[in-house]
Amino acid sequence: MTKRTRTALLVSAVVVALILAALLLLPRRKPSAFAPEQLSHGDETGGRIAEFIKVKIFFITETSPAMSPVYREIEVPEIREELYRKFVSLLLAGGEGRIVPVPSGAQLRSLHYLVGKEMLILDFNELLAASFPGGTTAEMEFIYFMVDNICYNFREIKKVKFLIGGNESKTLAGHVDLEKPFFPDFSWLKDE
Amino acid sequence: MKNSIKAGTFLVAFLVAPLLLASMVIDFRSFDHEGYTRVVLQSERSFTYKVQDQPGRLEVRIAGRADFPARSKAVPNSVLLERVTCEYQGNESVITVHFKGGAAIKKNFVLEDPFRVVFDLVRSELPAAVPPRTDGAVSADEKKPDPPKENPPAVPPRSDGRRGTGTPDVPVSQDREAVPPRSDEAVPPRPKPIETICIDPGHGGEDFGAIGRSKLKEKDVTLKIAFKLKKLIESKTGLRVIMTRDKDSEVSLNSRASIANNQLAQMFVSIHANSSFRKSAYGSETFFVSLQATDPEALELAQKENQNQENPGETIQNDELKMILWNMAQTEHIRESSKLAEFIQNELNELLGTRNRGVKQAPFRVLMRTAMPAVLIETVFISNAAEEKKLLSDEFLDKIASAIYNGISKFIYYYGSLVK
Ligand SMILES: [Zn+2]
Repeated sequence: MTKRTRTALLVSAVVVALILAALLLLPRRKPSAFAPEQLSHGDETGGRIAEFIKVKIFFITETSPAMSPVYREIEVPEIREELYRKFVSLLLAGGEGRIVPVPSGAQLRSLHYLVGKEMLILDFNELLAASFPGGTTAEMEFIYFMVDNICYNFREIKKVKFLIGGNESKTLAGHVDLEKPFFPDFSWLKDE
Repeated sequence: MKNSIKAGTFLVAFLVAPLLLASMVIDFRSFDHEGYTRVVLQSERSFTYKVQDQPGRLEVRIAGRADFPARSKAVPNSVLLERVTCEYQGNESVITVHFKGGAAIKKNFVLEDPFRVVFDLVRSELPAAVPPRTDGAVSADEKKPDPPKENPPAVPPRSDGRRGTGTPDVPVSQDREAVPPRSDEAVPPRPKPIETICIDPGHGGEDFGAIGRSKLKEKDVTLKIAFKLKKLIESKTGLRVIMTRDKDSEVSLNSRASIANNQLAQMFVSIHANSSFRKSAYGSETFFVSLQATDPEALELAQKENQNQENPGETIQNDELKMILWNMAQTEHIRESSKLAEFIQNELNELLGTRNRGVKQAPFRVLMRTAMPAVLIETVFISNAAEEKKLLSDEFLDKIASAIYNGISKFIYYYGSLVK
């Protein structure tokens, strides 16, 4: 074998190695992340930042299916999940001329935030389903009232999952699938 | 020098060519659904393929050399499938899915991002899982696939034209002619012009649905409209109509989809009466399934499912995955479902003079698992006192049935032009 042949073979081997490395290291396509429009007043630090925060809560009204906002203040507790719980209490409390699309007797049993999944789990008592009035529209009014308000105000929460009596439930009243978590649909919101 | 460069080039080509050919990794997955089994072949890049369904097996011939996880692999816990094998014949890779008994291809289509070739397989002898026959309902002895046509039409083209390079390069029906048919061969039903429509009267039994101020129950209204619609379709078109219930009985959402899938219905129409927390809400709405569940996370989860078979220690949320795949069963029909919803909604607006609340999407549990164009109609609001009063009138229910029928017949005309 001549020196030239050896050099050529060596160059070829390097080229092969490079191609092989490129093939192995080729990045795999990753699905893009969901990024909702964020107008939050919440903080992302997880720490205590203020005594009070101002939240914007959207309610449906008798005159419009689109949810319009009112402002509320919440005293910020030490524990972040406690803040979410206070926020949900504000949602359930409603306001003057506002409709709370939640059946009477329905109450939040517990609430958990899964950091890794960026998901808030809301566990309601069984009256949520038992007293639910039925209808696709009513189901969606309840779901997006909860999900949109939560995700709008707390940017670290990307989706919300509902449990009833500690268990997954197929639907609220026979229509929308409730086993999967919900991403917000901000088309339900109407700003001032 | 020239010679040594040639030698080098040859060596590069010699070493790289098999690497490039072998780079097409194909993953195999299968899922048992209500009434059918779905087989998915997924690859990072698209490929061309031919299909042969032999007795007892499905052969997929792929141009080039596929890198398949194993030469022979058992399919654990599958209702229809026993094993999948891969072998190489000349320039082709042959992936063979071996059935446990008689099975047939109900559907074959391609999904993109990532590239997937999907087969929906049904048992050639369908299992009995349908309510007993009473007037309009179907009976177990009817549950055989429709007899094959002389020249079954090819898979209807997607209305969005997304066939890509994955379209079989030889039409399935022609390819089958190359193999002489045998008497024991399972003849697969092919997509064809609409022959069977499934009407789903919402709720029933202990599930009253929404209740109006005068105590009118949604379950009674939906059944009445369903019967009227069935009569209209049968008398005007002669098409076969099946119902998910024909009396005041409770039928689970899964069973409703299963009845439609098992009966190979080509259209699913779920009838409801709406309710809102806003007492003034009124008008009709027609829905089809939302694609929200096929979000990036869902796709990632579906891909993870593969890794899981190799690492049983790693668990994933099965229910979440199932949900995604059920949703995928409807995904293929989303365009047609949207069109069907639009036709029906236009008719409801016109005939009833109700306010247009439009065609909308939501992740409906009953629609997700249906493998055909499927819609859910919220006729009017039973929670609205004035509309509830209308629902008490038989004449009004006739109008609703007639509007839905007009929408369906327009869709049949539109669909007919698709399957040509
Ligand atoms: Zn309903």
